[in-house]
Amino acid sequence: MLRIKNSFKKILCAGLAAVAAMSMTLDAFAAEPYRSYIYDTWNDSIPSQNAYRIDKTVTGYEMGLSRLSDPADSLFLGEKASARLSNAKDMYFDPDEKEFWIADTDNNRILRLDDELNLIGAYNELSDGSHFAAPSGIYVKRSLYDDKPLYIYIADYENSRVIKASVESENELKLVQEYTRPDTDLYTVETFNPSKVVADFAENVYAVCTSVNQGAVQFNRSGKFQGYYGANRVEVTASVIAQKLWRKFASNEQISGMTRNVPVEYANFDIDEGGFIYTVTEAANTTTDAVKKLNPAGYNIWDNSTGNEYKFGDIASEYDPSQNQTYSTRLTDICVSDNGLINVLDFSTGRVFQYDRNAKLLCIFGTKNSTNDQRGSFSNPNAVEAYNNNIYVIDGSKNDITIYSETTFGALMHEAVELYDQGRYSEAKPIWENVIARDGGYPMAYVGLGKAALNEGEYSKALDYFETAYDQDDYDRAFKYAREEFLKKNFTAIVVVLLVLVVFLFVLSKLHKKGIYLIKGRFGKKKKREGR
Amino acid sequence: MYEFTPVGWLKHCIFHPVEGFEDLRWKKQGSMKIALIIVFFLFVAMVADRQMTGFQFNNNYVKIFNVVPLIVQSVVYYFTWCVGNWSICTLLEGEGTFRKISIYSAYSLVPYIVCTIIKVIFSNFLVQEESIWITALTYLGFGWSIVLMIQAMRACHQYSFSKTLISMVLTLVAMLLILFLAILLLSLFQQVYVFIYQIYTEIAYRIRG
Repeated sequence: MLRIKNSFKKILCAGLAAVAAMSMTLDAFAAEPYRSYIYDTWNDSIPSQNAYRIDKTVTGYEMGLSRLSDPADSLFLGEKASARLSNAKDMYFDPDEKEFWIADTDNNRILRLDDELNLIGAYNELSDGSHFAAPSGIYVKRSLYDDKPLYIYIADYENSRVIKASVESENELKLVQEYTRPDTDLYTVETFNPSKVVADFAENVYAVCTSVNQGAVQFNRSGKFQGYYGANRVEVTASVIAQKLWRKFASNEQISGMTRNVPVEYANFDIDEGGFIYTVTEAANTTTDAVKKLNPAGYNIWDNSTGNEYKFGDIASEYDPSQNQTYSTRLTDICVSDNGLINVLDFSTGRVFQYDRNAKLLCIFGTKNSTNDQRGSFSNPNAVEAYNNNIYVIDGSKNDITIYSETTFGALMHEAVELYDQGRYSEAKPIWENVIARDGGYPMAYVGLGKAALNEGEYSKALDYFETAYDQDDYDRAFKYAREEFLKKNFTAIVVVLLVLVVFLFVLSKLHKKGIYLIKGRFGKKKKREGR
Repeated sequence: MYEFTPVGWLKHCIFHPVEGFEDLRWKKQGSMKIALIIVFFLFVAMVADRQMTGFQFNNNYVKIFNVVPLIVQSVVYYFTWCVGNWSICTLLEGEGTFRKISIYSAYSLVPYIVCTIIKVIFSNFLVQEESIWITALTYLGFGWSIVLMIQAMRACHQYSFSKTLISMVLTLVAMLLILFLAILLLSLFQQVYVFIYQIYTEIAYRIRG
C-alpha cells in the first residue's frame, strides 16, 4: 500500500515538475517594475495595460564612449575622457538627420549619436578655442537659410551664454553666434544662466534661464534681445490671496519685507513642426500652467482659465509606503514626437505621461523606486525623447539611456488614436475593438467606438459607449440626434396622444361645470357650508 | 373665510405666500401627517436627483451610492431645523409651538420638492444646450421655498420681518451646534462602547484562564 502510494507520489512529483518546468520556459519574462494605470473621468486611477515595455538600457560604454580616450581614434578628446555619461541634463533627437544629441553636462562635452545610439561625434570646444562649462541644454536644427548648415544651439550654463554653432565635422563646431546677458533695462536679473534652449524656423532663439521668471529669453537671428516669451502666471493659492489682502493694510516697510509672489519659471520646452512651443513647469503639484502650448505670439492654447480642463501629470500626490514618502508631480521635460504624441517626464515619480494632440492622456509608464538598479526605474530622469515608436529617457544619476518600445497594445492604441485624431472614426473602429479586447477598461476606446457609432447613425449604440466611458459631452451630442430621431419616428403617435389628452381634459372641464365628477372627493375647495 | 380640505390648505399656503400661513394659523389648520409625508418626499426627491437625473446632467460621483448622507441632508436637517427654531424662538418670544413649526416648515418645502422632481424628469429629455430650463427650475424651487419659509416662520411666531430673518439665522447657528453636539456624543458613546467591550474581553480571557 505504502509503496503504491510512494510510486504514485513519485509520478505525481515528476509530472508536476515537468509541468512547472514547461510553464517556466513559457513564462520566463521580466515584468515591468511598475503597474500601468490611467485616469478615468473622475480622475480616479484605474489599472491599464502596458503600452510600453522596457527594451534595453544603453550606458556610455555601450555607446562607444571609450573611443574618446583612444588616441588612435578620430574622435579622440583626451587621455582622461570618461567612457561614461555624467549627469547628462539634456538630450535631443533631430528628426531630419535621425541623430541623437546629448549634453553630457558634468563632462563638459556634447555627444552625437546615431539612431542606434552609437557614437558618431563628440565636441568639447568651439572653433574659437573656448570650452563648454556644464552645457545643460541642446537643440539642433538645419537652417533654412543660405547653404542650409546644420546648426547646434547649446545652453552653456556656467559660461553664461547660448551658443549657436554650425556642425562642421564629427569633432568640429564652428561658432556662429554667441548670445550673452542682454544689456538692457528690461533684463533685470544679474545672472544669465541658460539651462535649456530651442530655436524656431526663423532662427529666433529661446532660452530658459535660471531665476528668470518672466518667461523664456528671446533673441532674434542677429543676436538681439527681443524680450520675454510666454511667462507663467502665479498660481492662486490661499497664501497668495492672504498676502494680497495683507498688502492692502501693510505699510510700505512691511510690504518691502514680504516675499513677492512671482511665477515659477518653466523647466523645459520643446517646439513642434508647426512652430508651437510646449513648456513644462517643474513646481510641485502646480495646476496653473503645468504644461502649456504656446503659439508664436506667446499665447497659451491649453489654458484652463478659459473653461477647459486640461490636466497633466499625476492628479493627486501619491504616498509610497515602501519609501515612506509622498510623491508629487514635478514635470521636468516634454517631447513632442513627429506623430504628434506628447511625452511629459515627471522627475519625482520617474513616470512618462503620454498625451495625444488634444492633451488627452493615453498612457503612463516608467517608475522611480528604491530598487532603481532595476531596468526601467529611474533615479534622476532628466530628459525624454521619442523616435520610431520608442521612447528614450536619459538618467542623470544612473548615467544611461532607457529605451521603451511599444507593446502590441500600445501599437494598436497609437494607431487608433492617430485615426481618431484625424476624425476617421469608422476606420478606427476595428482597432478600438482590438484595444478593448486587450484592456476592457480603456476609456478612450469607448469614446472612439461611440464616435464611430454616432457617425454611422447608430445612436443608441453610441449612447451606450459614451455612458461606459462616462463622456457626458459626447453623450449629450448623441442624445440630441437620438431625440430628434425618436421624435421623427413617433411624431404621429405623440400628436395623437396629445390630442386625446386635450380632448379628455376639455370634456372633463365641461362635465365639472355641469356638476358631474368622474373622481369623487376632488381635492381643493370644499363645498361651501350652509349659511356662509 | 376659507374652508379647505387639508390638501387644499397646503395648496392655499403655497400659492398665497403673503397671507397663506396667516390664514392657516388663524384657522388652526395644518396636518402633521401631511408634513411627515412631505419630509419623506423631500428625501425621495433628493434620491431621485442623485440617481435619476439624465446622464448628460448628472455630475455626481455615480460609482458608489450611499443613502445615509441623503437621509441626513433631508430628514435629519429638517428635524434639526425644527428643534433649533423651536429652541431659539422660545427664547425670542415666538408664539409657535413645536408642532406648528414642524408643519409650517414642511409645507414651505413643497415648491422645492416639486421643482426638483420636475427638474429630474426634464433632465431626461433635454440636452446641455437647453440646460437653462433646469437652472431656472432650480432657482424657482429654491427661491419660492425660501420665500415661503420666511412667511411661514413669520406667521408661526408672529414676528416682524426683520426679527424673522434674525431668528432664522440664529436657527442655522443652533443647527450647527446641535449637529456638533450630536457628533460629539456619538463618538463619545462609541468610545464608551469600545471601553466596555475591552473590559468584557479582558474578563472573558481571565475567566477562561
